[in-house]
Amino acid sequence: MSLQQLKPNSFEEIIYDNCEPCLVIFTRKDCHVCKEVVPMLEELQPEYEGKFGFYYVDVEEDKNIYQRFSLKGVPQIVFFNDGEYKGKLAGEVEDEEVEEKIAEVLGA
Amino acid sequence: MANTYDLIIIGGGPAGLSAAIYGGRAKLKTLVINKGTIGGLVDTTREIVNYPGYKNTSGPELMKDFHEHALSFGVEFQKGQVVSVDFSQEEKVVKTKKGKEYSAKAVIIACGSQPRLLNIPGEKRLRGDGVAYCATCDAEFFEGEDVVVVGSGDQAIEEGIFITKFARKVTVIVLHDEGILDCNKVSAERAFNNEKIEFVWNSTVEEVLGEENVEGVKIKNLKTGTSSELACQGVFFFVGMVPATGYLRDSGIEMDKRGYIPVNGQMETNLEGVYAVGDNRVKYLRQVVSAAGDGATAAVAAERYIEEVNSFTANVLQSDKKVLLLFFNALVNESIEFSTLLEELNSEIGNQYKIVKVDLATKKNLAEKYGVKRAPAVVVLNHGKEIKRLECTLDKETLKAQIL
Repeated sequence: MSLQQLKPNSFEEIIYDNCEPCLVIFTRKDCHVCKEVVPMLEELQPEYEGKFGFYYVDVEEDKNIYQRFSLKGVPQIVFFNDGEYKGKLAGEVEDEEVEEKIAEVLGA
Repeated sequence: MANTYDLIIIGGGPAGLSAAIYGGRAKLKTLVINKGTIGGLVDTTREIVNYPGYKNTSGPELMKDFHEHALSFGVEFQKGQVVSVDFSQEEKVVKTKKGKEYSAKAVIIACGSQPRLLNIPGEKRLRGDGVAYCATCDAEFFEGEDVVVVGSGDQAIEEGIFITKFARKVTVIVLHDEGILDCNKVSAERAFNNEKIEFVWNSTVEEVLGEENVEGVKIKNLKTGTSSELACQGVFFFVGMVPATGYLRDSGIEMDKRGYIPVNGQMETNLEGVYAVGDNRVKYLRQVVSAAGDGATAAVAAERYIEEVNSFTANVLQSDKKVLLLFFNALVNESIEFSTLLEELNSEIGNQYKIVKVDLATKKNLAEKYGVKRAPAVVVLNHGKEIKRLECTLDKETLKAQIL
């Protein structure tokens, strides 16, 4: 299942209004590492159905979202819970690292 | 078994895709297992101007054509990362990270390389916080900032030029003496003429500095041994590539110190039915065109090998008659005389045996399998099992006595 894209409005709503526990991967279309990491997230997503949200932001389309988090590259997976930033994972990450991070965010 | 193939190709770059095209066209049941995007390293190349027939194309465009070409010949593709292999049996087994298992008679290793890390302090910790490896992906994040590029090969210089579109200044750290770059002349000239690019010669980076984000680098001058700091917001490393062949470590495949696999002209490794191509093998030129050539060669060699295995199974191992497996050397007279004598004797005793001739010069795999070092040699097989060996003499009676 493909990830849902966040635009400035939905980003506000999901992260800060609904305070949903979730991750957001910042990607761009011509980034080859993103093309490896995104499918890995898509495979993980069903396991967390209803417990943890999986979203993406296209940094070319929505520059102002990534600028808020002073990101210096893609892909970056940024984690949120209770409307707060809970850390990030950069570059070519493995599924185990993402699972561990999700457990940490949910456990805290 | 659903996961059984004639040919498995590990890697979907130009070498792997070319092998797939040849394998598919030869009607081999062919599978490509690919980790990331189709096209491998080429997929990250913005401009390709030296692939014959394409005056100017991009990596992704060219690889899309390769991919579609392979698909048109019925090649299957599976996404996955190979984590272990077992090449010890005739049916070779390949396992992926997700626990999937595939097997094939022949395997072509075409999984390419990955960026080399310098393993200096700060490099890993600040990855994604200023440390980067891909200009296409990340250059834009350094709009109006100062960036350091480490390396002077084609990739370093070309990516460095690309980064100047965004950055205020790009400083290239070069190992060599002033004026010497490892890249092609056209790119070197472009870089020297680019006002935003500066060079630091005879130097290397020994540490990436910064707490949350990159704030600078520590540069060591190799001539004087002195260190200095240079403030910057980003560091791009282009210090070469290393083969992504870690999963082959215990496979018995021979590799050199850097992880490259030595092969012969047929792309054969030291293991029967296993081939290595493109950036995985020891070679002189690492380009799309030479990778494609490697892939084609390996697929044809694999096709012949598979055909040899199949015909051996049908003619020898599954033969109802006993088989005299005759290893001969076509260039040696005695070898040919012996062959004639053996045929003659067999016909005298009513063709009790089936004689299968094996040319020692071309069927090295079989010779090795039976431990045959010189011709002539005869292995007697019954339903595929060795029952004895003949003493190869030109004395008719002595020879006849052995096969009665």
